This record gives sequence, C-alpha cells and structure tokens, in this order.
Amino acid sequence: MSNKLEAYLEEISHFLSGRAEREEILSEIRSHILEKAASEHGGTGDAAIDKAVAAYGAPRRVAERYVDDRPIIAPAYKRYLFRYTSLVFAIHAALTVLAVFLKKELVLFPLLYIPRLGVFDALMYLPAAFLTDLGVVTVVLYFITQSGKDVKLPWPKFGVDLDDVKPPTKSFWVSRVATAFGAVIMLAITDFALYLFARHHTIFFVNLNWNDPRPLFTPGAGRRLSIIVIAMFAVSTMALLIKLFTRSRWVDVASNAVSLGLVGFLLNTPFDDLFAVKIAEDILPKLKYAAKFTLLFIALMITIDLVKHLVLIGRRRLAKT
Amino acid sequence: MTGREPDIGSLETEMNRGFLHILALALLEKDMYGYSMVKHIEGLGYRVEENTLYPLLRRLEKNGWITSKWDLSGDRPRKFYAVTAAGRALRAGLLEVWKNQNRILDEIRKENANVQ
Repeated sequence: MSNKLEAYLEEISHFLSGRAEREEILSEIRSHILEKAASEHGGTGDAAIDKAVAAYGAPRRVAERYVDDRPIIAPAYKRYLFRYTSLVFAIHAALTVLAVFLKKELVLFPLLYIPRLGVFDALMYLPAAFLTDLGVVTVVLYFITQSGKDVKLPWPKFGVDLDDVKPPTKSFWVSRVATAFGAVIMLAITDFALYLFARHHTIFFVNLNWNDPRPLFTPGAGRRLSIIVIAMFAVSTMALLIKLFTRSRWVDVASNAVSLGLVGFLLNTPFDDLFAVKIAEDILPKLKYAAKFTLLFIALMITIDLVKHLVLIGRRRLAKT
Repeated sequence: MTGREPDIGSLETEMNRGFLHILALALLEKDMYGYSMVKHIEGLGYRVEENTLYPLLRRLEKNGWITSKWDLSGDRPRKFYAVTAAGRALRAGLLEVWKNQNRILDEIRKENANVQ
C-alpha cells in the first residue's frame, strides 16, 4: 500500500480525532482512492495512488466536511459575547480598583478572586482579567448554543453597549483637521513643559511668577513627576501626529498601554516628603487619598478606552472572516 | 446603486446542497458504491466532489434514509448504498418542493415577459 495514502489517511484521522466513526470514514476514503487509482490511473501502484490522493483534497478540508456545521456560538448570541464581556469586565475592573484602594483581597467564591494588589500588579492584572471574562462568557454562550434551546438573553435597553460602538462616521478629512488641531495644541503644551523643565527642573509650581517660581514638589520628586507627565504629553502628541496618517486603532491601543504604564509610575511615587511647601498634617492623608483615587479613576478610564479599541479591532477582524 | 460582482460559485454551492440530496436519493434506487455514483453523475454532465458526496451519504445514513454494506468479495472492498422506504418518502417530498419552486420561477418569468 502507498506510503502516501497511509500518511494522507493518518492526517485526516488527526483532524477527525474524537469521532466514533473515524475508522469507517477512513475506510470509505481508502476504498474510493483505490478505486479511482485503478480506474483512472492504470492500477493500484504507488504512482497511481499518489495521483488519486492528490486529487481528493487537503486533509483538513476533507475532515471538516464530516464535522457538523453547528457554530461554537450561535449567530443570534454573537453580539452578547462583547456585551456581556464588557459588562463583566466593568464590574471586574471596578472591584479591582476597590481591592487596590482598600488594600484587601476580594473573594466571591467560585466566581471571583482578586488578590491583594499593588497599583502595578493591578495594571498587569486587568488585561488578564479581561481575557478571563471573555473566556467565561464564551463558555456560557457555547453551552447555550450547544443546548439548542431558544434562550432569550437579557440585556437592558439603557445598558452600556460596547458592541454598538461604531467607528466615527465623519469623513477622514474632517477628523484629520480635528486631529491636526489637537496635535498642534498638544505639541505646544509638550514644548512649554519641556522648556519649563529645562529651566527649572520641574513643571509644578505654586505661583505663576516666572522670575521667582516656587516649586510645588521637592527637587527629586518634582523631577521624577515632571518627566512622567511630560512623557504622557509626548505620547499623546505622538499618537495624534501618527493618526494624521492612519486610522488604525492600534495607535490608540499603543498610546493607551504606554499611558497606563506612566499612570502606574505616578501611582507608585512615594507620597511622603513630596511637597516642598508646608501642608497641614491633617490635610495630607486626605490629599494622598484624593490623588490616588483620581489617578486610579484615570487608569480605569484609560483601561476602558483600551478595551473598547481592542473590542473594535476584534469585531472588525471577525467581520472580515 | 451598483451591486456586488455576482459570485455564482458560492451561490451554486448553496443551491447544490438540496439538489445533491435529491440526486443521491434518486440514484440509490439501485445499489451503488461511492465511486460509481461520482462517475455516473459525471456521465450525466454534472460534477460532484468525492469529499462532498461521502459526508452527505453519511448524513443520509445517519437519518435512516439510506443503508450501506461493505462488499469484500472483489479485488477491492466496496461500500454499497441503497435507499430505504423513509428515503423514498423524503425524495418524493423534496421533489415536490423542487417542482413547486420551478413552477413559481416559471410563473414569475412569464409575468416578467408580459411586462416587457
């Protein structure tokens, strides 16, 4: 028997893995190929069989014809994949922020476990949380699809529907003018911040007297925070400049990811000995919490924007297939 | 409004699904094996891919519309298929559907001819 035929059947067998009737299917194909080789290619020698094998089709395609057409997620439930993922992730992200803020672990066995996280850990945790949420929703929709029942999935009419976020409808030229305007403003802000930093080693002041400026933060902290904020300005400026030439959402994804990292640096800055001016002892802890809460809120907004862009990229890819 | 370029190939594949069911059920009034079915259909001026026919036969058999048995008496093992009573009933039903569809298309064609 031709080695090629056996190798071919072996490959089909691989793609039919788990099917009870696999051996029977392989016997049918073997029988057909031998028949074809004998009738059309002059015998059942290796060369004749090889020709018949070549004409039968790619192993994966052949195997796929035997697989039921039932999709993993029924078309009617596909839009719920992103709806429910965005909803679950919003709750997950809010609880993560809460866990960071309270410095506690949150457990809702067996659905949720958020360990005690630092700010950086949380930033690393959120993308993994998103993938987990996507996986859980996929599994639920998979089981609903496979059950074959007409389950009506709930979704409030007023609900935030990430799935319905549409790409901008205004023309590319209109959006280009707006982007160019934004880029010019951001460039001016970045340049001004760089000028201040080069002259005074900080961009944070308590007065606006440029002849005798008084820095808000101590020299080390002021330098560090200034560099981070200037980097954030520079990232936004770069993203806007790149978006003049492309509409790719990957630009937003990259910009958001870098911004998230920079917000993480800001959050990681030690609060003690930060201020160069005297601040009342009782106000300091409140100021600390307010700053942390604001930065966490900004981080959450950036994360939501990041997820929105990833969902839109994912949807566009799905639509293409 | 301009439509998309017609993609006869993929639409034909969709149309063929039903037609192949009728074709296989009609052919199997007498026992045949897969290769002989492919060649017979080819002889009638139509072409069906092997890797389409066998999965179809498997589905028909799973539903009890055809039966199969291996014949090991010749040089090569051959799997013969034959239509069952349920398969005949299905074939009659499908043919009715097909005739009705043809009638409707004929009616519309006549109506269109009158309009022009």
